[in-house]
This record gives sequence, C-alpha cells and structure tokens, in this order.
Amino acid sequence: MLEGILIGLTTALTPMNLAFVVAGCLVGTFIGMLPGLGPMSAIALMIPVAAGLDPAAGIILMAAVYYGAIFGGSTSSILINAPGVASTVATSFDGYPMAKQGKAGKALAIAAYSSFSGGVIGAILLLVAAPFLASVSLSFHSTDYFALMVLGLTAVAAFAGQGNVLKAMLMTVVGLMLSTVGTDQTQGIQRFTLGMIDLLDGVSFLLLVMATFALSEALMAILKPKDDESRLKEKEASANLGSMKVSKEEVKEMVPVISRSSVMGFLIGVLPGAGATIASFLAYGTEQRLAGPEKGKLFGKGSVRGLSAPETANNAAATGSFVPLLTLGIPGSGTTAIMLGALIGYGIQPGPRLYIDQPEVFWAVIVSMWIGNIILLVLNLPLIPYIAKVLAIPSRFLLPLILFFSLIGVYFVSFNTFDIQLMIIFAVAAVVLRLLDFPLAPMILGFILGGMMEENLRRALLINNDSWSFLWERELTLSILVIAALTLFVPMLMPLYSKWRKNADRAGEGG
Amino acid sequence: MLFFTNRRIGGLLLLAFCVTYAVLSQRIPLLPFQANVAFHARTMPEVLAVLGIGLSIAIIALPSPQEYVALKGKNWVTVFSFLVLMSFYGMTIRPFGFVLSSTILLGVGYWILGERKIWLLLATSVPIAAAFWALMTLGLGVFIEPLPWFLRG
Repeated sequence: MLEGILIGLTTALTPMNLAFVVAGCLVGTFIGMLPGLGPMSAIALMIPVAAGLDPAAGIILMAAVYYGAIFGGSTSSILINAPGVASTVATSFDGYPMAKQGKAGKALAIAAYSSFSGGVIGAILLLVAAPFLASVSLSFHSTDYFALMVLGLTAVAAFAGQGNVLKAMLMTVVGLMLSTVGTDQTQGIQRFTLGMIDLLDGVSFLLLVMATFALSEALMAILKPKDDESRLKEKEASANLGSMKVSKEEVKEMVPVISRSSVMGFLIGVLPGAGATIASFLAYGTEQRLAGPEKGKLFGKGSVRGLSAPETANNAAATGSFVPLLTLGIPGSGTTAIMLGALIGYGIQPGPRLYIDQPEVFWAVIVSMWIGNIILLVLNLPLIPYIAKVLAIPSRFLLPLILFFSLIGVYFVSFNTFDIQLMIIFAVAAVVLRLLDFPLAPMILGFILGGMMEENLRRALLINNDSWSFLWERELTLSILVIAALTLFVPMLMPLYSKWRKNADRAGEGG
Repeated sequence: MLFFTNRRIGGLLLLAFCVTYAVLSQRIPLLPFQANVAFHARTMPEVLAVLGIGLSIAIIALPSPQEYVALKGKNWVTVFSFLVLMSFYGMTIRPFGFVLSSTILLGVGYWILGERKIWLLLATSVPIAAAFWALMTLGLGVFIEPLPWFLRG
C-alpha cells in the first residue's frame, strides 16, 4: 500500500497534475455554484478538455472538478438557498438560516472545514477499502460481473425514493436501450442505426451526457426564468459574506459530528445507487436525534451541527462512490457513471485489474482526493468572496455560454455536425422528461453499463455452453442476484407490509 | 383530463418509444446459424423491449399522484428560438467557419434573452469565439477552420 501511495504521490504531485487539481477545483466550484448545474454537468463539460490529456491527468482533473462542484453547490445552497444538486439540499436547512443571520462567511467556513474533513477521512477509508475489494474481486467471473451490474442498476432504481422506483427502472431500461444503438460489438451487425452512417458507432456517451445534463439544464433555466426578487437576492448574497472565523466552541461541536458523519457517509457512498443525497439526509437526521431536545430545536434555524453533518457526509459519500467504480468497474452514482464513461474513452477498463495494470491511475485518483480537498480549503475558501460574484452574472450572458460550451464540447471531439443536431433532439427529450419529473441519472447509468452487461452476459453464456444455469448454479452469482432482487423489491413491498400490519392491528383491536 | 397526470404522460411517451424500439429490434439481421443460439444480436434488445413495454404499462396503469405539468407561464417561444439557433449553429459551423458561427450563436443568444446593446453583444461574443479558436488551434494543436467559405484561400 505504501508503494501505491508513493506511486500516487509521484503522479499527482507533478507540477502539471497539481495545476489540473487547482484548475479543476476552481472550475468545479464556479460551475457547481451556478444554480441548476451540479457535479454531473460540471464533469460532463470538462470531458472534452480531459480527453486531450493522459489518463491519470484527465481523471485527476475530473475528480477535482467533482469536489469543486460539490463545494460550489454548497455555497449556492448557503448563500441563496438554491441547492444546485440534491446532495446539498440538507446543507441549505441550516446554512441558509445562518446566512440570513448575517453569518454567511461563517457558514461557508463550517461547510468548507466539514467538506474537507469528510473528504479526507473518506479518502483514508478508500485507501483501505479499495485495494482490499479489488483483490477480492479478482476472483469474480463474467457471470458475477453480470450479476453485479444488475445489482448496480436495481440499486439505483430502488434508492430513487417512494413512488419513483418504477420511473427510475424504466429510465434505466431506456438507457440500456440507447446503449444497443450502433454496430454490435462482437458480431458486427448493425442495430437501430436507421441506415445512418453517423449512428454506426452508436450514440456517443459524451453527447448523451451533455445533452441530458448541461444542455437540458440550461434550456430548463430559459424555460423557467427567475423572478427579479431572487436575482436581487443573488446579488446581495454575493456582496455581503461577513466574517469567516469559526470559534473554538463551534469547532468542539463539529468534531464528533464530523467523525460520525464521515464514516456513515463513506459507507453509504460505497453502496451502489445510494450516493451523497441519502448520506447527507441520514447524517442530518442522525445528528438531530443525537443532539438532544435542546440543541435539536436549533436544527433548521442555523445549527452548526445541522450544517456540518450533511456537508461532511456528502463529501465522504462522494469519495465512497469511487470504491465500486475503481474496484468493480461499476459506478455507484450518476457522477461516477460519467467518470466511468470517460475512463472507457481512454481505453481503461476500471475494475480489479486497474489496481494491477495501471496502478498510477488508481493511486493518483486516491492521492488527488487529498490534494483536491486541501486545495479546496486553502485556495477556494479565501477566494469564495470573489467566486461568489458569479452569482451576480446576468443569466442572459451565462445561459448562451453554457449552451455554447456544451455544443462545442461535443463537436470538438467528433467534428461531426450530425452530433450537434442529435444533441438537440436528446436535449428536447430530456427537457420533456424533466418537466414530467422522470429521473435522468438512471438512464445514464443504464447507458454506461449496457454494453458491459451485454458483453458479460454473452461471455457467461459462451462459457456455460449456451446454458442460463449459471444464474442459479454459481453461488456468488446467485447471491448477488438475490441481493439485487431484495434491493429492488423490499422497498417496494415495505409500504404494502406496513399497510397490512396496520389493518391486522386494527382487526385485532376490533376483535 | 384527470387521467393524464405527469407520470402517465411520461409513461405513454416512453411506451411509444419502447414499442418503436421493439419493432425496430425485429429488423436486426441475424445470420442463419444464429437462429438457435442462446444469445445473439437481438437477444438483449428483445429483453429490453419487453421490460420497457411492461414498465411503461405499469406506470400508466397504476395509481398516479395528481400532478400536472403547467404549460402556462413558461418561455416556450424563447426555448424554441434557442433550439432553432443551436440547429442553425450545427448547420453553419462548417461553411461559416468557427469564429463567425460561434459569434452568431452567442450574440443572438444574448439578444434573445434580452440584451440590446450592440457593443455589449459584440464585446461578449467575438472575443470568446476568437479565444476558443486560438486555444484549440494554437494552444492544443487542433485545427478548426476559423473563416467563412468566401474568405478561405
């Protein structure tokens, strides 16, 4: 492990890669701060830039953009109560009231220290967990991988929240369908190309991500413009931040919260599909219960614990979501799905072999997480008063720029004007689905995993002489599939079970 | 009207998509020896089509929250203008060259969203387009034609 850390340090600490971490953190903070644009859009916008770099530098850049965007999202949550992403919603519960009390600077500092601690502790846990899981997963067969991918997809759907499971499942299937467009990988047969040469290579991952996130988010912002009052609020918030000093008592209050929330956040982040949103809400709820009746009352009114807990947990979860990506090659969240797509673009297949075949990429990502978190704290925090000015840029300038960056981001990779038109079609579909409240992240996950899933299933059948019996004969495969089924059906059946219990209790009381 | 909630409209649209996908999946050519193998180029699409159609029907048929999409009060015309503008950009980026087409995209974009000062439209579009061309061509060595067709040598 020590050797690995040294490899990681040697790679991540080159002046060029350090510059990428700094740039990534700044750009990520900038983009993440724009309401509506979250880490997924930030990373998507950076893929064309990262594509021109070597794999380690590219992944370091994207990872830095990721933490930067999470940090930026927290900033807009605190300053203007506009969480850019779901994972920073819980941050606004206490961060925004604190800002309204004239303590925006302090709230930002608490958020930054908590994020830093969550990220660093998460990276230490990742350092231990990733190599261990990678060595275990070396014994996995293609049948197990197929089952793991099924688990990844069902977990995403299962964690979509009550009433959204079916929608998330359908969107996952749509993503899988889109992944089948193009020439079949092994037999060279054209599928769903509609006779168009431009579709022979399938739908580009970058195009789909840019269209469904960056482009459609900008179009949604044009569709539903902000009123004058919220624009004024943004200008005022970016102008007055107040002091950024945190008192000793506040630090004492934060320490136990950070230690609990970071471990909890990391463990939740490791679970495929759970991610930073669930981690931040769970940490917030847990701390509220642990705070006792007196301090618990302060939650929602500017509590230090209430701000520190979700901020720590969401950063630790973001780090934890790299565990399944780096060790199994299965993304645990929409963001890591985009990173997986980028890695595949480099010709790198994340999974247990990554740890052995390309240790510099594996370790550089882990080490860059520490460096990224330090840079966020040392560089970004003092710069926040200046970066916050982005909130004052009029949207009439910002939105066309986002559209421009999205379009050229895709065009500069393929140099095919057909891609621009296809992007517009996907963006329109994404806007319609957003208006109808259908989630898009499961679609991206399905799209990324589709090709690998088909390949592993094909290989598993080939090894088993065209027999599907591997699904129940190999114990590991069966266990993973059973977990997948439980993950999917237990949350769906729980409401029915509690309804049945209530009815049974009522009948018992009546009798 | 009450039947068509957000959820059901989405379900119907995706059902149409899945049915089209199912029909097209039957047009995937198969080699003669593949008829009896367990896995061929159509297997995955067929499974996905069945899953997709089943899930769409479940979404339409199951009870749905009474949420309806509000069509009023949204800038449909502006969004449509941007779609046309982006499509125009896709069609003109080659003949007009990168700098001119990007300047048009940005300048017209700012104008659609309410900026009317000509000097500001130009000052915020021309330098950005030119800087990006310089970054790509001079910085990263990726050549992009900057000039329109009539100015090329």
